[in-house]
Amino acid sequence: MSTLIVIDQPPYGTWAGREALDMAFSLAAFDQPVSLLFTGAGVNWLRKLQQTSEIEQKSVEKNLSAAPIFGVEALYADADACTRYGLRLEDMVAGVAMSESNSELLHQYTHTAFAG
Amino acid sequence: MTPIHTLHILNKPPEHPRSVACMNALRPGDALLLTENAVLALAVQGDTAVSIPVYALAPDFVARGLDQSPDRAALVDFPAMVDLTAQAQNVISW
Amino acid sequence: MTGSVIPARNNEGFLENANDWTPEAATVIAADDGIELNEKHWEIIEFLRLFYKEHDMSPPSNRLFVKSVKEALGEERGNSIYLMQLFPGTPAKTACRIAGLPRPTNCL
Repeated sequence: MSTLIVIDQPPYGTWAGREALDMAFSLAAFDQPVSLLFTGAGVNWLRKLQQTSEIEQKSVEKNLSAAPIFGVEALYADADACTRYGLRLEDMVAGVAMSESNSELLHQYTHTAFAG
Repeated sequence: MTPIHTLHILNKPPEHPRSVACMNALRPGDALLLTENAVLALAVQGDTAVSIPVYALAPDFVARGLDQSPDRAALVDFPAMVDLTAQAQNVISW
Repeated sequence: MTGSVIPARNNEGFLENANDWTPEAATVIAADDGIELNEKHWEIIEFLRLFYKEHDMSPPSNRLFVKSVKEALGEERGNSIYLMQLFPGTPAKTACRIAGLPRPTNCL
């Protein structure tokens, strides 16, 4: 049993992504293999230097950086979406792997769930 | 300052259908104010330029880790946003 | 205990604002739980303060608390028996309260 959680919505603004992140952390807490894939506007979760004090929200960048500690296996970013949003690997949080083919990735998991 | 005919306030990300509808509704003499996830439009590469003044709410811009000096929009704070709204004859909140 | 020693707390005893925390406040909050802080406690408290600074959250559950401690300080400290002895009750909850962090989201 392995799970891929797909976040295709931008950070902040809605709670869907955060709930998905909580789900990933909960699976990891019980040592269930889980990875995250960011696609579409969702790749903006991964951008470095988010300064959220003025919007009074927790930084998703900082929250995400706990994923490897909790045992989330991988953070994937859709390569096309990164190109669209001007994100290179060095613009993103540590440990992100580019996904050139999401359909190939999706087929490797027993369960895939979208945020929201 | 020249008065604004219609101020379009957009808070949806570029993928959202209403964002597309907003872009299609812009007319000369209008202004566009990007807030919340709409500021992500400024990160999209090679997007077609808009020929009216574009503003982006600074706290939302920096929260998303975007570059400090966007070349396609002027950053505004909350008081400036209120001024913009006051200058506009009409406001559309998309 | 004088009320002036520790900053505002919520009905569960967690600080309203993690930035208001001081070591003195920790000592007072711990005393409420009948805990006298020694260097083993302080090691975990310092770890939690750093964790919060880096990740903008408390470890969300007890399991993830134990995992995080194990990752940072090794197996000897990162196990539930060790942490249970230091922070009785639900260790994540007790330790976060003393360290001035918000209540772990998944600890009821």
